[in-house]
Amino acid sequence: MEYGTIEREIHIEAPPEVVYEVITRPEHIAQWWGFDASFPAVAGGNGHMTKGRRDGTGTLVVPISVVEADAPRRFAFRWVQPEGEPATPENSFLVTFELTPVGGGTQLRLTETGFREVGWEAAQLEAQYRDHSAGWDEHLPSLAAYAEGLVRT
Amino acid sequence: MTTTIDDELWAALGDPTRRRLLDLLLAAGSGTATSLSAQMPVTRQAVAKHLGVLERAELVVPRKDGREVHFVVNEAQFARAVEQLATVGAAWDARLHRIKTMAESIQALRSTEREEPNQ
Repeated sequence: MEYGTIEREIHIEAPPEVVYEVITRPEHIAQWWGFDASFPAVAGGNGHMTKGRRDGTGTLVVPISVVEADAPRRFAFRWVQPEGEPATPENSFLVTFELTPVGGGTQLRLTETGFREVGWEAAQLEAQYRDHSAGWDEHLPSLAAYAEGLVRT
Repeated sequence: MTTTIDDELWAALGDPTRRRLLDLLLAAGSGTATSLSAQMPVTRQAVAKHLGVLERAELVVPRKDGREVHFVVNEAQFARAVEQLATVGAAWDARLHRIKTMAESIQALRSTEREEPNQ
């Protein structure tokens, strides 16, 4: 049994440049992940992602460390390493996005590795704080206006 | 969500020594505190304590065999833990779907602007 890796692929009707923007920019991450992200999207960039806990008991702070930023082809980062420690394969998850142009769109491939090594605490964190689609529905009506502002600026 | 988060279950799995114990028990079928401690860099007493935590979380079941207590993995509870881990994959499915929606919305807006440059 191997539950250490998650692999997913999705086709997006937008070129890799646009998809890369959505994946890497903190203002977009806030929309698709629900975290307020603050990190430089360059290799070696360290930062944090924060969100209010669902039960209202303060703020969840998760370290993030950019491993690879090769626009618009690859973006990889490690997360959930203990505060103040460098991210390693033993203490963090590695998330990799690979973008392949297909027609005018993008084949986006995601892998997340590390569950087996890191342990299940972080999986628990994910289970507790994972996003619910209902939460996203609240944001959808404002998305068009939001994206429009983005294009104009 | 079809499963509820069981704090005790997750706390039991949160320790690397206990996950290693589960790995050994799954591989061997069963084990005693003594046999397990021989395969790990911790004392028999420490192993017995960890087995107690796993037992309370219903991840292992003790079986008395004479003077020895053999532990086996509770497959049902273990499957439940694995199922909860699988929800991490579902979380990524939801995120990727959002990335798709956002990128396609932005692309649609940009295409519209290109088609109507001076309006």
